[in-house]
Amino acid sequence: MGMMEKLDELSASGAREYLTFRLDQEEYGIDILKVQEIRGYEPPTRVANAPGFIKGVVNLRGTIVPIVDMRLKFSCSQAEYNAFTVVIVLNLRSRIVGIVVDSVSDVMELPPDSLKAAPDIDSVIDSSAVLGLGSLGDRMLILLDIERLMSAPDMGLVSDAE
Amino acid sequence: MAETHQESGGAGGDFDLSQFYQIFFEEAGENLDLMEQMLLNLNLDTADDEELNGIFRCAHSVKGGAATFGFADVAELTHKMESLLDRLRRHEIQPNAAMVDVLLESADASRSLLARHQAGGEGEALPTSDLVRRIGELAVGVATPPVSAAPLPVAPPAVSAPGPAVEPLHIKDGSARSLEVRIGPLEHPEQADAIQELFRDIAGLGTVTVVPVDRKDMRIFAVETASSDEDLLDLFAFHVSREHIAIKALESTAPVPGKAEFGFFDNAAGAPATASSYADDPPPGAPLAPLPGFGFFDGSPGAPSQHAEVGATGAAANADAKVLPKGPAKVSPASAASQPEAATIRVAISKVDQLINLVGELVITQAMLAQNSRALDPAVYQQLLTGLADLDRNTRDLQESVMSIRMIPMSIVFSRFPRMLRDLAGKLGKKVDFVTQGEATELDKGLVEKITDPLTHLVRNSCDHGVELPAQRLAAGKPETGTITLSASHQGGSIVIEVRDDGRGLSREKILNKARERGIDVSDQMSDTEVWGLIFAPGFSTAEVVTDVSGRGVGMDVVKKNIAALNGTVEIDSAVGYGMKVSVRLPLTLAIMDGMSVGVGQEVYILPLSSVVESFQVKADAVSTVGQGSQLVKVRDEYMPVIELEKVFQVPRFNFEKSCDIMVVVEADGSRVALLVDELLGQQQVVVKNLESNYRKVPNVSGATILGDGKVALILDTGALVRRSRH
Repeated sequence: MGMMEKLDELSASGAREYLTFRLDQEEYGIDILKVQEIRGYEPPTRVANAPGFIKGVVNLRGTIVPIVDMRLKFSCSQAEYNAFTVVIVLNLRSRIVGIVVDSVSDVMELPPDSLKAAPDIDSVIDSSAVLGLGSLGDRMLILLDIERLMSAPDMGLVSDAE
Repeated sequence: MAETHQESGGAGGDFDLSQFYQIFFEEAGENLDLMEQMLLNLNLDTADDEELNGIFRCAHSVKGGAATFGFADVAELTHKMESLLDRLRRHEIQPNAAMVDVLLESADASRSLLARHQAGGEGEALPTSDLVRRIGELAVGVATPPVSAAPLPVAPPAVSAPGPAVEPLHIKDGSARSLEVRIGPLEHPEQADAIQELFRDIAGLGTVTVVPVDRKDMRIFAVETASSDEDLLDLFAFHVSREHIAIKALESTAPVPGKAEFGFFDNAAGAPATASSYADDPPPGAPLAPLPGFGFFDGSPGAPSQHAEVGATGAAANADAKVLPKGPAKVSPASAASQPEAATIRVAISKVDQLINLVGELVITQAMLAQNSRALDPAVYQQLLTGLADLDRNTRDLQESVMSIRMIPMSIVFSRFPRMLRDLAGKLGKKVDFVTQGEATELDKGLVEKITDPLTHLVRNSCDHGVELPAQRLAAGKPETGTITLSASHQGGSIVIEVRDDGRGLSREKILNKARERGIDVSDQMSDTEVWGLIFAPGFSTAEVVTDVSGRGVGMDVVKKNIAALNGTVEIDSAVGYGMKVSVRLPLTLAIMDGMSVGVGQEVYILPLSSVVESFQVKADAVSTVGQGSQLVKVRDEYMPVIELEKVFQVPRFNFEKSCDIMVVVEADGSRVALLVDELLGQQQVVVKNLESNYRKVPNVSGATILGDGKVALILDTGALVRRSRH
């Protein structure tokens, strides 16, 4: 079986691995292939004139990486920084971004039939960035198109010119 | 990899060469550059085998590659060059200026053809048939006057022996012969038809007629020529392989005495006349004209330092080889500067950058370890501390070596100027010697790419505005040939590149008049330096006539802007009648910058040290406000705007008792502002990182760096801060 057939089958079945993380009481999932690494939180260097959820930039082995606090972006009730606060470093189209979450839970494979389309809801999350809802027993997983979410203009991560 | 091989094997051996294209283009470019350099250095009278062989090898390599990759147009042109060079190196014909010209033009043409192939073959291909024809004529010994470029003056010895120079090899068989050339069997017999074109393109080769043949895969030509079989095979081999060619003399047909022979002698008779006309009447525009004495040192402004003399000796030796009719001992400049066999490897820049990045990280880690180990008791942890000391030294050495990978010698930049000046001087009718000093001085690759254009502009300026016409020079009591000197040297942490000429120099009067014309506020009391600085104003040109070389007034301001963008400075020194000197001072590398770290609240910002003028503790009464609360500070009779970094960067302040009371004066774009900061933390070399690769552009910030403790600090864009104060 050639590589292409294998890929076709994979995309046809839609079975993908997702990294799940928690923000407050909600559980989110993102494509594992977009994740570069997971590391502890360290205070970033503040950048002037940035929106509040952009905490600043950190040094990731010589690369300057911006840090976005998803809890502030998604208006969670509290956003504390302690020894358990985790940063997921994402590699999106050759740009590297770190997101702060409450905790990382699991890596899981979701069969396509467990995915439900998200109903139209009024939320701080742009509905086009929600791929769907996954049900795992009694838990609900919100699957995010993290690339679309991060490159949206309201994230302020990319220059207007781009 | 193994898989790829299997696949391509299955597809019938149709091996995809495109993956090697890039390597070919790079190599071909290098070969053409090298060939151009050698051609320019070639002394027509004393050309030795080694030089001619070197040039031949370059053309040969390009041809070989081009043919392999199927770039027929390049292959055809370089094949012609190769044939001409082959005859030169076998001393069958004498090199002359027309050949050098046509070879240089062909090298240019090959370059543009290659560039077109590299771009995917889009756009109009440069027509080469004229070049091919001219090379062909020269190769058979017909001297044609060059079409455009000013020819090199031919020194008398070349003319004294015009016989061998023009007597073509092909004639050695005596007279024209009738031959039957059978080609085939061929898979694509159309290839053979191209042979007819050869006879059309190469004057004096002879005539060809197609003989009808009943086999489709065969071609038979009846050829009348004076060339030998071997020469014909060489020519035909370009279109069809040798084993498919059979040449048979047609004994029965009576040789035709007329056309071919006649044409030959006609040309041969004309040729010496053409050649001698070069010698008797050297065109005024010809550069590199031999002069009895060299005025390298006499004419150049400013006494050359000892360092310069060392450089000049090398340069003079270089010039010797170029200009003197009989060079003394062979001081081979090529051996020092550009040996093609130099032991180098090609590495992608990204790999080097990654290495530099990693080493930078290592240095930071090492600094952290050193800091943490300071508290340890040396008596107990002696071994650990010794190890750390070793680590310190090794990382520093490692960093230095890794940074040096990116450094390339200035000769890469300098090498493009001789050719440019030769053409330019020819066009302008001036005589210019070009001298380079300190070619071995190394500079960061990124800087080299960015400095080439400004330098080109400065050199063109010197040639166009600086150096006078030969007659004017003689009238001024100067040697007829002007000298433009390009030198590079290290001075402290920066590199200084000077463009010097012994021309007419800048005229205070003219510049001041021009400035008044353009409505710039000037006075006669201005110092020389200030007056020279005026030529950097946008749209400023003192050239009386606008030429296509310079005089449009775009240029010097762009030069200054480009150099300022590299954290560099430009200075001008000039004396009327003695010439002018432009000094460009640049940091050694863009990746590392001398910075001054300042503290504002809890945050650290870096200022480029090159733009910091001074710093002082401010007294409350020195600050006054204007209108809407804009602050001005008086520094020694000068008022300058104050920028509070705390407000610009919205720095949160927790300790309200402490306040900013230190001002740092920075200069950019010719204006100064005072930045209000809390404290000065020190000066250090910082590694400049791009903030925009993962984030967006931040106003007033030019980049970021990583401090000794691993934290990120932002580098301020002083230019933007100064501009901000203006609005």
